Amino acid sequence: MSDTTSTIKRTTSRVKETPEQRARKQKIQLTAGIIVAALLVLLGFYIQTQNPRGAFIWMIGLALGYTLQRSRFCFTASMRDPVLTGSTELTKAVIIALALASLGYMALQMKLTGVDLKNLGTDALKDASKLPGHVRAVGVHTVIGGFIFGIGAVIAGGCASGTLMRMGEGFIQQWIAIIFFIAGSVIGMVLLPIVQVNPILYQAKPIYLPQLLGGWVPAIIVQFGLLFVLYVLADWYGKKKSGEL
Amino acid sequence: MAEQTLDCLGEACPVPLIKTQKAMEKMAVGDVLIVNIDHSCAMKNVPDWARSVGHNVEIEEVAEGEWNIIIEKTK
Amino acid sequence: MDEKKKYPFHEKYFKKEWSYVTGSVLLAMLALALVIVTGGSWGVTGPLGMWGGKFLQLIGINADSWKAYNGSLAKYNFWTDQTAITDLGIVLGAFLSVLLATQFKIKKIKSMKNVWAAVLGGLLMGIGARLSLGCNIGAFFTALPAFSLHGWVFWISIFSGAAVGSQLLKKYFM
Repeated sequence: MSDTTSTIKRTTSRVKETPEQRARKQKIQLTAGIIVAALLVLLGFYIQTQNPRGAFIWMIGLALGYTLQRSRFCFTASMRDPVLTGSTELTKAVIIALALASLGYMALQMKLTGVDLKNLGTDALKDASKLPGHVRAVGVHTVIGGFIFGIGAVIAGGCASGTLMRMGEGFIQQWIAIIFFIAGSVIGMVLLPIVQVNPILYQAKPIYLPQLLGGWVPAIIVQFGLLFVLYVLADWYGKKKSGEL
Repeated sequence: MAEQTLDCLGEACPVPLIKTQKAMEKMAVGDVLIVNIDHSCAMKNVPDWARSVGHNVEIEEVAEGEWNIIIEKTK
Repeated sequence: MDEKKKYPFHEKYFKKEWSYVTGSVLLAMLALALVIVTGGSWGVTGPLGMWGGKFLQLIGINADSWKAYNGSLAKYNFWTDQTAITDLGIVLGAFLSVLLATQFKIKKIKSMKNVWAAVLGGLLMGIGARLSLGCNIGAFFTALPAFSLHGWVFWISIFSGAAVGSQLLKKYFM
């Protein structure tokens, strides 16, 4: 990237602000940032009084928001771009994140279930939903819910985490989206008990891969194997799309 | 060597990239496209795409939260 | 352009964007740190239904009596809800990030299309997340790595939905 001399020849140069105006505005934002950081620390102290692990949770939340924004990470783009723009960079990044998180959850869960899954089903560990991680019911409701969610995320220009992140970035559209996200959640909460009594749409038992596939070894092979295959596919697809253009 | 400006200020996520792709299709080799954006996603995914296809790309920050992405069509 | 030369420290540590993979690594680590310390995994949409219910109560509708809430609204406390805290943290963490990078700008609505997109998209996400018991985080990012089949099923489903959403976006919201 260039500094004062651009290597691409062009004639139009839309100058919005003088260098002095820019420097002033930047100093304001930077100062505001430092003040906000201090306030966030103070808020952390308050949260700690309300929640025994409040300060820690607060730090994680802030770090998540900071990371999402700074790395321009977007789950929605990871699903949408392969179809819409042919790009799979975020798809690959999401797969990497899934693989790393899988490693961590594997360790946490294996410690509790035992390498041979012996502890699962005992009084100490009644079923997989008690394990670290969201091991939850799967059924037609998941498919319908996911499908609807996918449509909504692309239309709105951001998924759940993306909406929160963009609220912080100043996108008024996302401030509107969150309101209707909340409204939709209320509707969803009303629908859920109705759906849950229908055995076709909903079956309450979670399906845990190590149990489904007969042990940790097959589960690990399938999980990491699938993620690897998907990564390679995404890589190939992205390169094909950009090569053709 | 034509020069075109594409105003994408205020556009939501994939729109700047889609509009850029469409505009680039119609341009000749050597032409320059300047895309005005204010979306942090776009200041990364538009240059990423343009570079992956092989064009010359430059990014300049023109104001707080506003960028110009300058793309020179090379093929 | 000059700023990069003038303030290299600021440029490098506070302005320059991170790579996607840096994001991947940090997000995975942060999510794991959270579950190790608190036992609860990262999620986003759980509290949203509660906040909506609280609002209804504010305007005189007794949502707590509904089967959906079943008295849970009366017991709800924002600060004891881990997910509520992380939700707020994400908004403010992102805000801090743009401020320190001096890239903050309020992006106003350009056309009514953006409003309709936000309304429809928000509603669909809210309903979808409840039906699947989570969103792209709670039913995907902390579900698939937790070896829950519903994480994989949700991923396939949102991918399909995103394909449809992309067509709708191109046709009506661009």
